[in-house]
Amino acid sequence: MPTLHADKKVLHVDLMGESIRAAQGSMVAYTGNIEFKNAGMGGGGGLRAALKQRIAGESISLMECTGQGRVSLAQNADDVTVVDLGNEVLTVESELILAVTAGLQLDVKFTGLQGVSTGQGLATTTVTGTGQVALLSHGPIIPLEVSGQYPVVVDPDAYVASRGQLNMSMVSGVSWRSFVGEGSGEPFSLRFDGQGVVYIQPAER
Amino acid sequence: MMEQTYNPMTLPSNDNVNAYSFSVDLNGQWFITKGAMIAYYGNITFQAVTAFASAQAWVAAKFSSPVYIHDWVVAEGQGKLILGDRGFDINSYTLEDGNLTIKANNLLAFDSNLELKQSIVPGFVTLIGSGIFLASSNGPVIFVEPPFRADPEALLGWADVPSPSVHHDAEWMTRSIMASVQGAFGRASGEEKQYDFTGQGTILLQSSEAVRRDNALMRLVESQTDLLAPHQAGQLGQRLVARAQQANQ
Amino acid sequence: MPFEQVNSKVVRAHVSQATPVLSRRGAMLGYDGRVVFRPVHGQGQGVGGMMGRAFAGESNPMMAAEGQGSVLYGYRGLHVVVIDLKGETLTCEADRLLAHDASLTTSVEMIAQGGIRQAVRGAVTGQGLFTTKVNGMGSVAVLAHGGAFAIPVNGQPVGVDPQAYVGHTGNLNVDLQAKVGWRDAVGRGSGEAMQLIVTGQGTVYVQASEEKF
Repeated sequence: MPTLHADKKVLHVDLMGESIRAAQGSMVAYTGNIEFKNAGMGGGGGLRAALKQRIAGESISLMECTGQGRVSLAQNADDVTVVDLGNEVLTVESELILAVTAGLQLDVKFTGLQGVSTGQGLATTTVTGTGQVALLSHGPIIPLEVSGQYPVVVDPDAYVASRGQLNMSMVSGVSWRSFVGEGSGEPFSLRFDGQGVVYIQPAER
Repeated sequence: MMEQTYNPMTLPSNDNVNAYSFSVDLNGQWFITKGAMIAYYGNITFQAVTAFASAQAWVAAKFSSPVYIHDWVVAEGQGKLILGDRGFDINSYTLEDGNLTIKANNLLAFDSNLELKQSIVPGFVTLIGSGIFLASSNGPVIFVEPPFRADPEALLGWADVPSPSVHHDAEWMTRSIMASVQGAFGRASGEEKQYDFTGQGTILLQSSEAVRRDNALMRLVESQTDLLAPHQAGQLGQRLVARAQQANQ
Repeated sequence: MPFEQVNSKVVRAHVSQATPVLSRRGAMLGYDGRVVFRPVHGQGQGVGGMMGRAFAGESNPMMAAEGQGSVLYGYRGLHVVVIDLKGETLTCEADRLLAHDASLTTSVEMIAQGGIRQAVRGAVTGQGLFTTKVNGMGSVAVLAHGGAFAIPVNGQPVGVDPQAYVGHTGNLNVDLQAKVGWRDAVGRGSGEAMQLIVTGQGTVYVQASEEKF
C-alpha cells in the first residue's frame, strides 16, 4: 500500500512498485522511476465513462502514477488533507480530489453538490472502498460532526466532502435580493442531518 | 492526516478554529459581511442590514457609513457560527472602550456592541467602543510601532495612533526624474509614497496584495469625482482606462 | 545580517551603510529608520556596481534600499523562502527574486544564443529569455506560489514540472526533456510535454503549485 503523506500544500507519495491515481497535471516533482499515463475519467469503463466525460466536461481527469520512488503532487497551492476510508463511501466535489489509492472505486455524477445545481457545472465523485484519499481545499479543512442532536448548515461554496448517512436539503439563506452589485454568495445554504461528518473549507471555490 | 471532528460543544467559543476561520458563540446579534458565513449549528437567521435599517434605528446608528452598508448582514440567534474570508488569515481583536481603524475590505465581522464609522482616510473604517471584531489579512498580520512608514497597499490598520500623513520620498522622485524612469509622474512601483505614522500606538501590516475588488471604495471614489467639471471627468476617465490597459500587459 | 523571516509571506532586512539591499520594485511594505530608495538597473555587484543599461525585454528593474533602518518586504501575499548563501550560487528566474543583499553578485544568463533546448526552457518556464545567478555570502528572498520545498539532489536524477521549478543551488545540471505521457503529468493547458531533469550534487527548490504565480 503506498504511503500518502500530506505536508500542508504538497502530497508526497512513496511508491514501491504500486500505482495511485492523481489529478492530471498535479505532479510538481518526482525521484526514482515513475511512469505517468492517462487514467480517464475515473468512473468505470466503456460507453458509460465516455458519456460521463462528455457531460461533466473536464471537471475530473486522472492520471496513473506507477513505479518505484517518490512523487510530489500539488495543485494551485491548495491545502492537502488525507482521509482514510474503511469500507465506506466518501462523497467529494470532483475538482477537489488530488489522489486516491488503488482499490478505491470512483463514480462521477455530472451535477455538483449531490444533485444541487449551482450553475458552476461541477461534478460530484463518490469514492467507495478501503484506502486513502487526498483532498484539496482553499485553507485547511474543518470536519463537522452531524448527528440527530445537531444538524449543520453549510455555505455551498465551503462544502468539500461528506461521509456517513446524511440527508442534504436546501435552506434559504439571507434575503440577498436586497443586495446591489456583484460578488458571489449563493442565495441558499445546505442543511445536513443524519449521522456522519461534513468537511468544509474556510473559503469559497 | 485528518484532524479532530468538531461539534457544537467542541467548537471554540469566540476563537479561531484554525488560522483561516473563526467560531462565534452567537447569543444575540453580530454584523457579518455577506459571504463570511461558512457553516453554523443552531438557530440563526441572516438578514441584510438594509432590511433592518428602517425598522430598527439603532442599526442605522451603528452603521453610520452608507458606502459600506450594502455589504453587510445581521446574524441573529443562538449557536456556533463559523466565519471565514476566501482562505485569508482571520484574527480577532477585542476593544475595551477603544478604537481601531482598519481597511474596510478586510473587516469581516463585529459584535453589535461596537460602532462602525467611515474613516477620513479613504478605504478605511473605524470601530469604536467595547467588543470583538474580526479582520482578515493576506498572511499573518504584522504589528509594528511608530515611527514607521507604510506602503499604502500593505497598510491594514492602526490603533491608538494619530491618523497618518502622506510622505512623498523626495529623493526618490528627484533621482527618478533624472534617470528618466518611466512613469516618474505616476505611481511607478509604490516606493515613492508611504503613510507616515508618528506617536504611540500600533500599526498593522500585511504582505501587499493584488488589489482586491473593493466595491465600496469604488463607490466612494466615484462619488468624489462629482467635484470635477465634466471635461475634467472625461480626462480622468481616459487616464483610468489607460492605467487599466497598462496593468493588463 | 541575514534576512529575518517574519512570517511565511514577509521578510525583514536590516539596512546599514555596509549592507544595502536590492529588491524588486513594489516589494517594500514599510520601513523604520532613515532609509532611502532608488531605482537601479542591470546586474553586477553592490549598488554602485550595477550596470546602468537595461537589456531589451529585461523584466526585472530593481530598487536599492540604502541608509540605516529595517525594511519589510513582501509581494502580493506570495510565500517567501529565504535562502542563505555561503559562497555557493543560486540560479532562479529573475522575477522570482524578492530581495537580496546588495553584496551578492548577480549575473543574467541570456538564452538568446545557446541551443534550441535552452531557448525552449526559457519559454516553458515563462521567464522569457532570462535566468539569474546569485553568488556570494548573503541572504536571498525568493517568491513561490504556496511556498517551496527543497529536494536534495545526490546522484539520483529528480524530475520537476517546469512551472513548479523555483531555483537551485549547487552544482546541478538542469535539462529540459520531452517524454511520452508527460503531458498527463504536467498538462492542464501548458501545451508542452516537457519535464526538467535535475542531476548532480545540490538542492532544487520546488513550489507547491504548478502555476507560476
